[in-house]
Amino acid sequence: MKVAYYPGCASHGIAKDVDIATQLIAKDLDLELMEVDDWNCCGGGFMDDKSEEIHVALNLRNLEKVKEMGFNKMATPCSVCLNSHRIASDKYEKNPELKENVDKRLKNADIEYDNSVDSEHFIWTLIRDVGIDNIKKHVKKPLKGIKIGTYYGCQLLRPYEVMGFESPFKPTSVMDLVAATGATPVSFPLKSACCGFPLMGSNPPVGLKMADNILGNARNNGAEMLVHPCSLCHLQLDVTQLKIKDQFKQDWTLPVLYITQLIGLSFGYTPGELGIGKITTEYLKERGFT
Amino acid sequence: MEEKEITVNIKKYNENDGAFWKSYKVKADRYTQMTEVLRRIKTEQDPSLSYRASCHMAVCGSCAMKINGVPSLACKTMAFKATDEKNEINLESMDYYKEVRDLIPDIDTFYDRMYKALPGLAADEEVIAGKAEQRMLPEEQKEVWQFQGCIYCGLCVSACPSVKEDEKFLGPAAHAKGYRYIADDRDTKKEERINTLMDSAWRCTSCYMCYEVCPQDVQPVIAIKKTKSYLNDYRGPETDVIAMARKHDNAILELINDTGKIKESSLYLKTFGLGEAIKDSVNMLRSGKIKYAFTKDNDVKNINEIKKIMGDKK
Repeated sequence: MKVAYYPGCASHGIAKDVDIATQLIAKDLDLELMEVDDWNCCGGGFMDDKSEEIHVALNLRNLEKVKEMGFNKMATPCSVCLNSHRIASDKYEKNPELKENVDKRLKNADIEYDNSVDSEHFIWTLIRDVGIDNIKKHVKKPLKGIKIGTYYGCQLLRPYEVMGFESPFKPTSVMDLVAATGATPVSFPLKSACCGFPLMGSNPPVGLKMADNILGNARNNGAEMLVHPCSLCHLQLDVTQLKIKDQFKQDWTLPVLYITQLIGLSFGYTPGELGIGKITTEYLKERGFT
Repeated sequence: MEEKEITVNIKKYNENDGAFWKSYKVKADRYTQMTEVLRRIKTEQDPSLSYRASCHMAVCGSCAMKINGVPSLACKTMAFKATDEKNEINLESMDYYKEVRDLIPDIDTFYDRMYKALPGLAADEEVIAGKAEQRMLPEEQKEVWQFQGCIYCGLCVSACPSVKEDEKFLGPAAHAKGYRYIADDRDTKKEERINTLMDSAWRCTSCYMCYEVCPQDVQPVIAIKKTKSYLNDYRGPETDVIAMARKHDNAILELINDTGKIKESSLYLKTFGLGEAIKDSVNMLRSGKIKYAFTKDNDVKNINEIKKIMGDKK
């Protein structure tokens, strides 16, 4: 099955391992990821604070490219990109004044778009199109006995009226995928609280504290690792983890994985092949997964 | 009408005993609101049960609490819908606020934040003196209408992750109220309001929790985003938070305008400067992540499209 794929800036940058792992497991699952032609940054989480018109128009440019490629939907591994595109489509449909102004901007750039393309998260594709049972069939190394904190974050779930895939208060997608790998999913109270990444450009001390809260809360509820569904959560919880450790003088780290990295491990790929960082790789070695 | 017995588990609290859970069995039907369930428990089983409820129609905002962990109004929640597969419902006082007794928290901090946002129209003196009249156009009313629906229930503040960590963040409700007057042309304190709210707005994570829990669909996060959009013209007190937000935002805008994409490494340098970037590079080296800091993605080929989208409309 061919899937239009929008990687987003982060997964083509410092969160490159999100893209690496997603591409690998997609191949195993017979998903041919077709990268959206000449895609641009969606401006998720900040462009709508500058200009709603520009934000919507930038996102619709991407969706128009998807349409040109012959698809009626695209999948992204990043919750912020997902949220951005879905909110843009929603506003374009519901706000005629905004639509008029967005159309002017698109016309300026010779783009015509009919709002016919849907955006979804790659984990929605995994659950809806591939199916949990099918994923289970590809598991070669069940991750038996590992307790994984299942983190959802904010942008994947809220606002529910726009995101619409699962309950914003009782989500199950990440849990179901973790269970499919043979690992034990661990729910924790802060599973859908913000990781603090959006504050890193204006109020980093509080942003880091929020990340520390998530990691600590998962750990206190029995998680030995944490899995999440977002390229920007990856920057905050995985890439920034040593900074958080120093800042709050913690004597522990919590290994963090993007969801497709965990699935990749269960499919038999090595941490190296999945681009997994040192903290997590070392922990996996300790637990006998190399 | 079919009645069913449900189990209501309530997290009770008093100063002497601290917090403890107590269960009650109550008969309810499909039209029984949770406020009615609480009334039955209090009048028929446990006169000591303390909770607030007044209008029973989602207007007064008194009965805010956590129902099965979800910040909700008890009156807006039907008992049958809230029960789980075991026919049970869990009730707790809202998060964040100081507990007073059972389901009653002390929400003074909510009001304090609200008052900082000057929650009332500052009309022109001529208007107050009855010498002039101010009118509002329907388009203007449309912009403020949604944000003025706040019923002061306190749910958004209780659920907000920033409020918990940041005293200087005024919280979702105060921002909705504040923006409601910023966008109201009859108001004479627009500048003062923006000066109060700008720093606070950049302490919001845009996590949409307030949007989700608000029983009146006020969407406070949208009011915060709209307030942030005044940053370019803002000339009020320049706090550290505002200064960093400016740097960060300008850097992102420049990157998107020039390349169509965000390159985190350049963004990081422009926002935090070389010193901080070097410090963080050491951590990235330690965690084996540094190789990705130099990942180079293609620029958008048709960058003129991006420039035209972002430029002035014709």
